Amino acid sequence: MGAIDDLTTELARLPGIGRKTALRLTYFLLKRTPEESRRLARAIETVVERVRECSRCGNLTESDPCGLCQDQRRDPRIICVVEDPADIGAIERTGEYRGQYHVLGGHLSPLDGVGPDELNIDALLRRLGGSGGGGQVDELIIATNPSVEGEATALYLQKLVRPQGVRVTRLARGLPVGGDLEYADGVTIAEALSGRREL
Amino acid sequence: MNAPPSLVCRELRLRQFRNFAELDLLFPRPGAAVIGPNGSGKTNLIEALYYLEIFRSFRGAADDQLVRFEGEAFHIRGRFEDPATGREVEVTAAYEKRRRKKVVTVDGAEPERLGDALGRIGVVVFSPSDVAIVAGAPGERRRFLDIVLSLNARGYLGALQRYRHTLRQRNALLRAGAPAAQIDAWTASLVDSGAVIMAERARWVAEHRAAFASRYERIGGEVAARLDYRPSVSGTESPESDFAGALQAELDRLAGRERERGLTLAGPHRDDLGFLRGGEEEGRDLRDFGSGGQQRTAAVSLRLVEAETIRAARGRAPLILLDDIFAELDPGRSRRLLELLEEEPGQAILTAPKASDLEVRHGALPRWRIASGQIVAAA
Ligand SMILES: Nc1ncnc2c1ncn2[C@@H]1O[C@H](COP(=O)(O)OP(=O)(O)O)[C@@H](O)[C@H]1O
Ligand SMILES: [Mg+2]
Ligand SMILES: [Zn+2]
Repeated sequence: MGAIDDLTTELARLPGIGRKTALRLTYFLLKRTPEESRRLARAIETVVERVRECSRCGNLTESDPCGLCQDQRRDPRIICVVEDPADIGAIERTGEYRGQYHVLGGHLSPLDGVGPDELNIDALLRRLGGSGGGGQVDELIIATNPSVEGEATALYLQKLVRPQGVRVTRLARGLPVGGDLEYADGVTIAEALSGRREL
Repeated sequence: MNAPPSLVCRELRLRQFRNFAELDLLFPRPGAAVIGPNGSGKTNLIEALYYLEIFRSFRGAADDQLVRFEGEAFHIRGRFEDPATGREVEVTAAYEKRRRKKVVTVDGAEPERLGDALGRIGVVVFSPSDVAIVAGAPGERRRFLDIVLSLNARGYLGALQRYRHTLRQRNALLRAGAPAAQIDAWTASLVDSGAVIMAERARWVAEHRAAFASRYERIGGEVAARLDYRPSVSGTESPESDFAGALQAELDRLAGRERERGLTLAGPHRDDLGFLRGGEEEGRDLRDFGSGGQQRTAAVSLRLVEAETIRAARGRAPLILLDDIFAELDPGRSRRLLELLEEEPGQAILTAPKASDLEVRHGALPRWRIASGQIVAAA
């Protein structure tokens, strides 16, 4: 396999990109100046080297703990639990939320072999006041997607943290069932935040 | 029966569908009678028309099987007219074998979800295979209910999709012997969606029980038969039941056995319908004790009730497709069914092996001959 084939194969592995599009992208990269394409290659390399998971909240970050966890102005008494780091961006863009976050890294899905152990749940329990957490959290907002899996994950978490005496709420109104938080618009998320319900 | 008439199929265009290489038909408003020998493509034609209603085969065939042997993709296009307003609707469906890709359009636009295009026309098919609904396994009866209610009851299709999805996840956990805390997390969604399905099924049966009995009596020329909803959770037969509460309680009760068996043991995936004889043999199940003729009568009655459901839900009569059903019924039943069908104001398209088998619409339908995938007007 030649270099063109190699790159095309790599690109075709990306989500939403088929073989044809991958080939088109490869030729596009070859048509640009070498410097432009090198910049892309470097950006990918840098991201891979520098970005990792925040050891506290699971967000993707270059510094550990992440900027959100370090921000003194954010309310440490509320934690919003999301499936993916991209969901944090969606909620932050609404400007309506000033608490902390916790990223699960997905949702429960037995058919795909994803159980509680595959999610970032232990770290969440630690933050809620187990060992070395501080126990100052008094509300957990569960903002998993409004899909069958997201709902099951929310319910599982709610029962799990109940003994800790934390108030648990769930994003409500407005989010379309089966939808994806990441793609919901800001107004919808803001509404869902203010209309969150007790679980 | 005062609903406006059905949408009328004016044009059907098939490419590489089953044994039709290329077929272009213009239908008269009353419909047509398509006559031809076994294996000529009669059921294939009906299958193509109904495909535009549910976007899959009514005989349960996979899309791959519908592509003509050696072909790569099939295309179906139907043009339908609303006689009340003169407005036209075009529905198309295409399926490509290699990419397993299905494309559906309504009036030239792809619907956001396939569910949005379902039941756009309003069609009922009468087929000899319907007898399986009465005489076959419970899955046949659930499939009947699921299609009728998905097309006619708001919220049913969504609940059904959620239920099936949750059921698969929950069964995976039960099979793996997961702890109760994990299984319970899925039970709420199973109960919520399951309760919607059970409620709609119970309501449909309650609303149509009388109609079923009277259709059965008229066609069979004998005592009425009864239609019952037989839910897997006892005590939820009536539409006023507390479906969610009862299903949750049943799942709680069965929790231990579910973990032994590695399966979800209660819920609408285990529901059934009952068809019971009246009269002297009161309460005898038609599935086990009915004659072939009685079972067929019950199946036909069920389709007539489906037609009524469409009328009620959409304010318009359905288009009627009759696939070779008169050969299966004795002359008395055939005649009485025909009388009932005359009361259906919609377009009727029917098939039969011999011209003498039919006098639908008092013989007013033009007769077409079909032979190995070609259709021509009969002389
Ligand atoms: N995918 C296909 N491609 C070509 N021919 C097919 C395909 N599927 C079925 N057939 C043919 O269609 C015929 C059966 O048509 P059908 O409509 O069931 O007959 P009938 O007129 O008895 O209802 C058979 O000859 C069969 O070989
Ligand atoms: Mg046939
Ligand atoms: Zn962090």
